[in-house]
Amino acid sequence: MTHDEQPPGHAVSPEGGGTADELSCEEAARNVFEYLDGELPPGYSERVHRHVEMCQRCYPYFNFERAFLDYVHDRGMRPARSAKLEERLKRLLDDLEGREP
Amino acid sequence: MSAKHREFESEALVHMDVLYGLALRFTGGDDAAAQDLVQDTLLKAYRAWDNFESGTNCRAWLTTILRNTFINDLRRRQSRPAPVGYDEVAERSVYPQLHEEDGEGGFFDRIVDDEVIRAIEELPEDFRVPLVLADLEGIGYKEISELLEIPVGTVKSRLFRARRRLQQRLYRYAVEMGYIR
Repeated sequence: MTHDEQPPGHAVSPEGGGTADELSCEEAARNVFEYLDGELPPGYSERVHRHVEMCQRCYPYFNFERAFLDYVHDRGMRPARSAKLEERLKRLLDDLEGREP
Repeated sequence: MSAKHREFESEALVHMDVLYGLALRFTGGDDAAAQDLVQDTLLKAYRAWDNFESGTNCRAWLTTILRNTFINDLRRRQSRPAPVGYDEVAERSVYPQLHEEDGEGGFFDRIVDDEVIRAIEELPEDFRVPLVLADLEGIGYKEISELLEIPVGTVKSRLFRARRRLQQRLYRYAVEMGYIR
């Protein structure tokens, strides 16, 4: 799988001048969906969280992806109506009731 | 009309539109297959109605039956799965194209519902089903992996690709419609 996600304008700097605990932007971005889905191990998720909170570029990027997931969830669950199906199910129920003792 | 029939109508049939919407997403917009799926679901629910505890979450119970029915059928059909096409270009976030004018994802809200529904339903089945399970139903990776009998890594990978494809398509649509430059 190619997770070549990286917020634009980011230099990849694993050393980055920070502490050993700090993630690079590339690593944070690579885990964006697992982080937003709550699927990362707690300690690692906390590291991503700390990075994103402090990073001017990752912060809006993560918000963007979160808005996308919220949008898909909200719009994707839209119910659908079918008069034909309604009629079909009513007939089925009447039929089932007729067969019951 | 029997008491069971009346009760089933008032507690279960009222969720028909939600079930039908979900069935359309699962089946990729195949109306006949979606109707069959809803019918099978409600038939199973009707037969098991005596075991349903009134006052508990009927909608959640029905969506579980629908999901399991769909997945059982999918497993039967996919004994010889078709290879999934890989399209690296379609798998990048659209954020780089948008971050200067709309970094917070507000553009998604300007896209009409019909387009996202169409975009979900037109995803290849291998991508669509994990996306419906995760993003519409809120099911975790491990449970999806068990339901679809695929490794968790494959769930992640398919979900990643499904989301990217969806995003790219919505972006192209938004450009086409002049919602973004």
